[in-house]
Amino acid sequence: MSKRSVDAVFQGLYLLTDIRGILRDTVPDHRLSPGQKKEAEKILGKLEKQVAILKEELLA
Amino acid sequence: MNCGEGIDTRQVDELFINLDPIQAGGRLTTDAMKAVLAYGDGYSVCDNCVKPFRLDHISKPPLADFHRDLADFLQMDVARLVPGARRGFQAVAGALVSPGDPVLLTAYSHYTEFLSVEQSRGIPFEIPADESHIITPDAAAARIEEVIRTTGKTPSLMFVEQVDYQYGNLHPVAEIAKVAHQYDIPVLCNGAYTVGIMEVNGKELGADFLTGSGHKSMAAPAPSGVLATTDEWADKVFRTTGIKGDLTGRTFGIKEVEMMGCTLMGVTSVGMMASFPHVKKRVKEFDRQLQHVNTIVDALFSIDGTKIQSEYPRKHTLTRMNTIDSFDKVAKTHKKRGFFLTSALRERGITGILAGSTRVWKFNSYGVSKEQADHVARSFIEIAEAEGLTITG
Repeated sequence: MSKRSVDAVFQGLYLLTDIRGILRDTVPDHRLSPGQKKEAEKILGKLEKQVAILKEELLA
Repeated sequence: MNCGEGIDTRQVDELFINLDPIQAGGRLTTDAMKAVLAYGDGYSVCDNCVKPFRLDHISKPPLADFHRDLADFLQMDVARLVPGARRGFQAVAGALVSPGDPVLLTAYSHYTEFLSVEQSRGIPFEIPADESHIITPDAAAARIEEVIRTTGKTPSLMFVEQVDYQYGNLHPVAEIAKVAHQYDIPVLCNGAYTVGIMEVNGKELGADFLTGSGHKSMAAPAPSGVLATTDEWADKVFRTTGIKGDLTGRTFGIKEVEMMGCTLMGVTSVGMMASFPHVKKRVKEFDRQLQHVNTIVDALFSIDGTKIQSEYPRKHTLTRMNTIDSFDKVAKTHKKRGFFLTSALRERGITGILAGSTRVWKFNSYGVSKEQADHVARSFIEIAEAEGLTITG
């Protein structure tokens, strides 16, 4: 059992859901405010970490 | 892009400002979307279900606390999760209405309220609305007197909507309930458009039963909702089973008959619970939503010939417009006929108004930001100007 990879999948999905939330908040133009851009950047950075964990756990 | 064979991925709320009258208040919070991801499997809340094996006793996830919190939130004594407000109507009618009983509804009652009366074999009597499309306590009193006079029976239940689905008008439930109680008629307040949208105090309303809709107004997946009641009525509407199998002798613990046992055994209850902290917060910010809907209505008003059929200024975001003398005149000669308006709105990233509507139509702006309300308002004016309608004010 790779609990670490399962956690990474859920963390990744939750982070993508946060991005989905930003897309919903900014319809129809998806023009992000400086604050929202900063938030999106933070989320995407965390998402990359979760993808790295998955690569490490499943592909190594 | 499909999410299953032949099932398109729904992206309405990611791509458009959605003004659909029944969808606005049920749009999920991000926490609810996460809950959907984690609890999508059937019976997903049952992992840690222990004796007495009932949904409102489960502590992990914290459904037992959630039930208590819901009752507190509504200022009622007891609450149960139900698969939509309609199942709350059904449960109450099933418990209180006997065949042949007169039951009071209103001119704006939802069809499922009627069906619940029909299922219980009651006889419906509607309280008429006044010329402002409001149900008044005087009209309720007059109808009660008439029903008692003509049937010889006191109605066994009264349904009344706090905000109705046709006009989005706010009705004086507390005063109507006071009248009903003078005749010992219990009152079910239908809060499908209010619970989760604005602050609702069941005690102040004088409601014996209060229903809310998770998917309509509590940012929850369908079908979900709440039925709350007082200690006086809880034992009747939430009676526990007493039945026994004649061969096996089986009994069924403390399952509640009108609830058909456990109700929301998975993603619906957890989605509703995940949104609940946000819902508690957003009901306190309802005034801002009223400012936004009034911004949109004022813009529509500035288009010559446009009328509002709901009460104005708005007390709710669900609104009924009459554009027979404005947009419908354009539709008569436009190459897209009645579809020109919803098509032009869609080009501007706005959806949710019934396609082809240019005469009488509804929208619900609940949940939009100030920027989005301004965009919608500006869009209506731009479309009107482009079609040669006069803008005043």
